[in-house]
Amino acid sequence: MNLQFSYRRNGSGIHHLNPFVMPAWVAVILVAAMTVSHPVWLLVVFLSTVPVAYAAGVGRQWRGLMKFVLWMCVAIVVINVLVNQQGSNVLLQAGFRVPLLGVPMMTAEALAFGGAMALRLAAIISAFTLLNLCVHPDDLMRAAIKLRLPYRSVLVTSLSTRFIPVLVADARTISEVQQSRGLSFGSGSLVQRVRNRGALVFPLLSNSLDRAVQVAEAMESRAYGVTVRRTFYRDVPLVREDVAALLVLFGGMALVIIVRTFGFGVYEYYPALGDLFMSPAEWLMLALLSASLLFVVAAGIVRRRRTHDSI
Amino acid sequence: MIQFEDFSFTYTGQHDPALRRVSLDIGEGEYVLVTGPSGGGKSTLCRCLNGLVPHFHGGALSGRVVVDGLDITAHQPREFAARVGMVFQDPENQIIASDVERDIAFGLENLGMPADIIAQRVQESLDMLGIPLLRRAPIDSLSGGEKQKVALAAALAVRPSVLVLDEPTSELDPQSAREFMETVALLHSEGGLTVVLVEHRIERVADYSTRIVVLDGGSVVVDESRRAALQLLLDEPHGVGVPPMVEVARDLRMAGLWSGTTPTEIDEARERFGDIIASGSTERRYERKPTPGPTLIEVQDLHFQYENGRPALQGVTASVRANELLAVMGRNGSGKTTLARHLNGLLKPAHGRVTVKGADTRHASVSSIAGTVGLVFQNPNDHLFADTVEEEIRFTLKHLQIPEDEAGRRVDDVLALLGLEQYRHHYPRGLSGGERQRIALASVVAARPDVLVLDEPTRGLGHELKEELLRFLIGYCDAGRAVVLITHDVETVARHADRVLLLDEGRVVDDGPRRTVLSRSEVFRPEINAIVQGHLRGKKSEAFMTIDDAIEAFI
Repeated sequence: MNLQFSYRRNGSGIHHLNPFVMPAWVAVILVAAMTVSHPVWLLVVFLSTVPVAYAAGVGRQWRGLMKFVLWMCVAIVVINVLVNQQGSNVLLQAGFRVPLLGVPMMTAEALAFGGAMALRLAAIISAFTLLNLCVHPDDLMRAAIKLRLPYRSVLVTSLSTRFIPVLVADARTISEVQQSRGLSFGSGSLVQRVRNRGALVFPLLSNSLDRAVQVAEAMESRAYGVTVRRTFYRDVPLVREDVAALLVLFGGMALVIIVRTFGFGVYEYYPALGDLFMSPAEWLMLALLSASLLFVVAAGIVRRRRTHDSI
Repeated sequence: MIQFEDFSFTYTGQHDPALRRVSLDIGEGEYVLVTGPSGGGKSTLCRCLNGLVPHFHGGALSGRVVVDGLDITAHQPREFAARVGMVFQDPENQIIASDVERDIAFGLENLGMPADIIAQRVQESLDMLGIPLLRRAPIDSLSGGEKQKVALAAALAVRPSVLVLDEPTSELDPQSAREFMETVALLHSEGGLTVVLVEHRIERVADYSTRIVVLDGGSVVVDESRRAALQLLLDEPHGVGVPPMVEVARDLRMAGLWSGTTPTEIDEARERFGDIIASGSTERRYERKPTPGPTLIEVQDLHFQYENGRPALQGVTASVRANELLAVMGRNGSGKTTLARHLNGLLKPAHGRVTVKGADTRHASVSSIAGTVGLVFQNPNDHLFADTVEEEIRFTLKHLQIPEDEAGRRVDDVLALLGLEQYRHHYPRGLSGGERQRIALASVVAARPDVLVLDEPTRGLGHELKEELLRFLIGYCDAGRAVVLITHDVETVARHADRVLLLDEGRVVDDGPRRTVLSRSEVFRPEINAIVQGHLRGKKSEAFMTIDDAIEAFI
């Protein structure tokens, strides 16, 4: 399986949107996922990211990561059920007592709460994955600088995205080197295994330091820091579909705040599961939020047409 | 353009100066090759040219260096950025942005140039290097050769008056290296650039320079025109191997078979004495002809594909036999390293089979194969982590469960064998590149594997160190074991390999005795073989591969 989660240019309109649009989209999802607790709301927020992945042409990579996230979700549900003994609807109960924890049992409330937490996590990871896959790190850097974040800090972040794959490759090679010398990372006592990891960690750290010095040399040689007013070669323009997408997302964010202020999107898990019922007004608000999140797909289609027309 | 006036420099914390009383005057438009043994001061000299020494690498200095009118002590490296373009050894560490055009633009943006000028310069640089199609390519999708061209394009985009190249071809196969050097030569001849090129494999680059400077122990020991310098290096090599044609010219002259000016280019040599060598005997009586022993590794119809879907090996069938030094050659990305990783089970075949002494690697762990197949990786730094050389070697033996007293004996043996006894208690990573290479080798050889696989072991080694290493490897083969040498070093293979396996795009395109394979290859043809082309009159060119062949042909 190809787990390539870094930016890859493709012809999708979403890839061509202004670099402010996708961070704004992620922000709406992040705030929505963190503030609502109703499982239907969380499910809809997560599902709203799926068409964006496919419209951006990164469905395969997205699916690859989501398979991994699915296992994380299962783990969250299982751990919550095992650790959280609250709730009034007992589904299963063990016939023995565990010191400090009492009689282990599984409640419908713990199961549902674990599921909601998993959905929340899935929505957030999905959003950040798409941001990573669809926005060039250098464009993100440019957007951050426009937001008056300090250039040096932003550059360091951008450099780290460039060198993380190199670091991973280095770690893999060093691990192979030490295995070729008879080392088995998974065998021996705990102390021995920790010591064995030293054979991986020390060369990796030393090599990374060497690399850092060489990168710094190259940057110095290429006029880094020579002028306070650095220019930027490529600036992705803010055109009408970007403005429209940003306005719609701004509306989405306002909606989330209204929803939370008026007590919508809330669900009681404990002590007993509440009613899943949602009023027509709440359904309407949920539909509007989903529409605002899906608007980037429409903006991407318009941008793609415009790009083609200009070619 | 560049003046060194009695310049000395000692790095902070070091006792010995890296440069000693260097005086050099390099004029505008010159193409100077700076060469010399490992640790001779070449890279330090490079770093003086844009002020990295003394501003980035601090130390004590005396004398003066002026580059394009700026004194390096008074100006920071960034102030030289518009005048001096630097290309370092490892392209990976000098590319800052994550795609090609943004990286080329990086220096121009730092200089505060307007976006339209940057766009124009980016396009010009891409065109100059012949890589306009790579404009939007992500850096991690590029080959080593392409990355080096991007680094060069980025250096040229600022339109420097001096171009400094520090071993820029060390990671490239011969054809990519030739293409790169020809590009630089064109920029020099048509653009009037002053070029300072550091390289220890001068057979790769001597053709292109007009002047050669040799640094040994931090001092300039030779500073002559190309022809005169090569002649001087014949008498006093200073750890630098001269191109085979220069040695042959001397030997022919001494034998009274030829007289004339020493050639410095292959065409020139072919014209001057190609016919003389080719007219000699084709019988080779003095070469090592080992009897191949039993098969130790068998590779059958091996296929392998990386995670990104790119096929790395496509039906490779090969064998490794005892007593044999097998060279695996091929262009960058041809599958050599992937094949090496299959030989000790690090990678398991997607299809096909690899057997080590009859055992299928799919059913064996890497650590269980480690005692039979030892793999020495390209970068010795990936091996080294212990506090002393002795501990580094003991680490392997401990994990192979060699008893303590036997391990002690093996450590003593391998230290003596590789001339490392004096460094037994030294910190490995504090030693020189050549010494670290030998320690990495020792850490694998101590296990006495039946097959020793070395990935590019001669990269970065000076001429003498290289010859020493090869003597050791041949001795290893003669003891009934096998060596697999993965390399781009054509001349070394021509002199020492018994058999050559040639890969291209993951397929075996040739496999046979070195003379047969190398004489059939256009890319991996040794210099002497190239010189006799056109003069053979029906003789087989495979008799003419090395300097020894040329001597045996006419004496």
